[in-house]
Parts: sequence; C-alpha cells; structure tokens
Amino acid sequence: MNILKRFWLPTTVLGIYLFLYIPIVIMLIFSFNNNQLGYFWTGFTFEWYQQLFQAQELWFALKNTLIIAVVAVFLSLIFGLMIVYSFGKKLDKFFSIFYLSAMIPEIVIAVGLLSIFSWLMVPLGLNTLIIGHTLLGLGFVVPILHARYGEMDNRLLEASADLGASTRQTFFKVILPFLYPALISAALLVFIISLDDFLIAFFCAGPTSQTLSLYIFALIRSGVSPVINALSMLMLMVSMLLVLLFSYVTKKSSEEIL
Amino acid sequence: MKKIIKHELNFFLSIPAMLWQVAFLWLPLAFLMISSMYSIAYGFSFTHYLTILDLTHFRVILRSLFLASINSMLCLFFAYPIAYFLAFKVKKSKAILLFLLTLPFWVNFLLHVYSWFFVLERNGILNTVLLKLHIINEPLYLANSLFAVGLVMFHTYLPFMVLPLYTIFEKLNYTLIESSTDLGATSSQTFFRITFPLTLVGARIGVFLVFILSFGEFVIPTLMGGGKMLFVGTLISSYFLLDQNVALGSAFTCLSGFMLGWALLMIFVLFRYIFYRITRASS
Repeated sequence: MNILKRFWLPTTVLGIYLFLYIPIVIMLIFSFNNNQLGYFWTGFTFEWYQQLFQAQELWFALKNTLIIAVVAVFLSLIFGLMIVYSFGKKLDKFFSIFYLSAMIPEIVIAVGLLSIFSWLMVPLGLNTLIIGHTLLGLGFVVPILHARYGEMDNRLLEASADLGASTRQTFFKVILPFLYPALISAALLVFIISLDDFLIAFFCAGPTSQTLSLYIFALIRSGVSPVINALSMLMLMVSMLLVLLFSYVTKKSSEEIL
Repeated sequence: MKKIIKHELNFFLSIPAMLWQVAFLWLPLAFLMISSMYSIAYGFSFTHYLTILDLTHFRVILRSLFLASINSMLCLFFAYPIAYFLAFKVKKSKAILLFLLTLPFWVNFLLHVYSWFFVLERNGILNTVLLKLHIINEPLYLANSLFAVGLVMFHTYLPFMVLPLYTIFEKLNYTLIESSTDLGATSSQTFFRITFPLTLVGARIGVFLVFILSFGEFVIPTLMGGGKMLFVGTLISSYFLLDQNVALGSAFTCLSGFMLGWALLMIFVLFRYIFYRITRASS
C-alpha cells in the first residue's frame, strides 16, 4: 500500500510524458525509413532529406515565412514598446483591449480579417499576413513588456533625470536596457507564433504568399509521406537550437542586470 | 509648454498599437456582426440567423461544445498530477521537465497532428502492437473518427492546462499541505480541502484556455476527422472559403461566438459554485 502511494504519482507523470512524446519520436524515427508508404521499418536511408532539400516550393515557403515573421516581430515590438512607454504604469486600465484577442477563437479573428480585407479590396499576400501576425503578436508583447516595465524602480528614472540626462538618453540608457530580457523573450514568442500560425495564413494568404504551415498542410492532405517526417526532424532541430540560444541570452542578460 | 509637448508626444506614441487593435481586431469583429444582420434585399434583419437556426447547425455547435468540455475536463484531470509533481516533487530535473513539456510548442503544430497518423492508422503502430500481443484480431479503425479528433486535441492542449496550473502551484505554500497531513488528514482530504481550493484560479485559467482553443479548432478535425463530421471551425471555414457566403458565415460565426460566451459564463459560475461548496464544507 505504501509503495503504491509513493509510486503512483511519478508513474502517472511518466506515463503522460510518454504519451506526449511517443508519437513525435515515432514520426522522427520514420524519417529515416527506407519505405515510401510504409508504417513498417525496412531500412535506413537519407533519401527523404535529399528530396526535402530539392523541393523548391519548400524554400520559397520558408522564405515567405521568415519575411513575415521578422517583420511581424519588428512591428509588434516597436508598437508594443511605444505604447508601454507612453502609458507607463497607467496602462492597466486599457489592458483588457490587449487581452481580449486571447479570448476570441483564432478562427474568428482570421475570418474577420479576411472579410474586412475583401471588403476593402486589399489584395491578399504577405502584407495581410504581416498585419494578422502583428495583431497576434501585440497580444503577447504588450503584457510581457508591461509586466517588466511595472517592475522598474521609478527612482532610476528620477536619478537619470537628476544627473542631467535628456528624455531620450534616459530612454536609451536606462529604460531600454532594463526592458531588454522582456524584449528578447517577447521577440522569440512572436517569432514562434508567427512560424506556427496556420489559421491566419489559411484565410488571409494570397496565391503567391505560400507559407511553411500552408506547405505542410498541403503535403499532409496529399497523404503520409516520409518527406514530412524529415521536415519535422529539421524543424525540431532548428527550434531546439533557438530555445537554447534564447535561454542562454536571457540568462546572460539577467545576470548582467542583477 | 515643453511639458505639454512631451505629454502630447507620449500620447502619440500609443497610437500605432491602438490603431492596430481597432482596425484589425475590433473593426473586423464589428464587420462580422453587421454583415450577419445586413442584406441588400431586406436591410437590417435577422433573416440570416433564421436561415441557420436549424437542427444541423445546432448539432455542429453542440458537438464542438461537447468536445471542448470533454477535452478541458480530461486535460484538467491529467494536468493536476503533472503540475503537483513539477512544483513539489522534483528539484534538480524541474527545468528539464518543464522544457520537455513546452517542447511540443516549438514544433509546428501541424506536424504534431501529423505524428498521430503513424500511431492511429490501420497499419499504424498501435494496431501493430495490439495485433502482435493478440489483444485484437482485426485492426481497429482509429484514424478519421471522433475519438481521433479528441485524442489529438487532448495531446495538443494538455501543456496549455499544465502551465497555468503549475504557475499557481509554484506560489502555493507547501507547508500548508504538510501541516494538513500532520494534523491527520488523509491525502484525499488534503487534496479536496487544501490543494484544490487554493489552485482553483489556475485551473480556471487553464479550462478557459483549453475550452476556447478546442471550440474553434479547425486543423485537427480537418486532418483527423476525415471530413465526415463538421465542427464549428470547419463549418465556418467552409462558409467563408468554399461557399464564399459571408452573410451566412458571419451569422454562424456570431451565433457560435454567442454560444461560446454562454458556455464560458457557465464554466465561470460552475467554478464559483465549486469554490463556494468546498470552502463551506471545510469551515
């Protein structure tokens, strides 16, 4: 009885972790499987990776995705920084505006954007996706930056002003360095959200603005193919690298500040 | 004078973000509401709503509500042990376990869904294993079913439940649990009278999050449902993209949004009621 009591919790947790990871691990293993259709292991191959690197469409989609993500990160950070700086600690009152986008299913936002774009006859393309992703991004950037801004000691600003710094100097030498870790994590989050987004791309992308998500969706719809598995492996590698880099940067910058 | 200019400048700095929210969030939502009620022939009326107020549409909404409720309950049930374990039972490996929990977020969500094909297909891993073990004699049809949709949703959204719960557990003082045990409470008493009421806030955030996400889900039913069953997300998209029928599409979107709002309100009331009952019972 006692043994049961001690072990049920770790076993449950282990089980859930296994459940979370088994499908992904299986998928990754099958990216090396030398069998076009199979769920059976027939041999080891790198063929799917080679095919992946030759797929023109993929690189085109990746280029679009990266353009959208970088611009969306840039815009949402700038706009977020501006509004957080301008309202300072008074932003609390207006906060619900930025939280509300999380309370609305994303498909509603996507459909709304689509109908307003077609009503205004805005051609669908990269620009419409950038608009949508910046909107999603602001919903994360503003709360993150605001939280960090709230932690700032007002005396820092007073000291900076007393010592003769102009508003601009205070902003660039005091406020911006203080917000730096929050800026980095917000940037990474928006980047990931933009990479991961499917719904906005599905509704608001034009014929020439294929993104990575749309490319993957089209591949999956046309059936199971080991090329997708190879793609998953590569994307996982890249994301892990990003995460490690991110944790390194935030750790380092928080050490510098403290 | 200089101060006024500075103040004005400060105000202008907030304009882009505000404008973005208004132009690309509020305006589209207002547009959806207006176009759900407006038609050239009748002006403002409820004709579109009357067209979609039938059993088929209600069945779709109910199906999505049902799936969202089941999914959020399951996620809540399985997230508790993980959050508890992460917060109190591990020290050294906490960072790595948390990292592993968030890792699926970093893989494209579509690939995440795709990975289940290998497990659930007729020739997939699960069927192969079950056949080898002689638990079943015929391969099961697991993919392209309501079960598959639910399972993949659970798999995708479980981390969304664990993380808010974990945040609350981290703030919870473990000595409360210890003293409850010391004073002779059984572990179930401790859970229902101490742990559960104190973490209810996190549970509510998680349930809201998972419920909203599952309700509007489009990708998982499309890829996993085999196109047989309609859900709110798939029906909205087919109205807008296949039929190009903005009027009916926006009426249906508003109707399902309204139903979602009611469901969320009910969940809120339910949590209040549970909290009230538990605190009453223990005092």
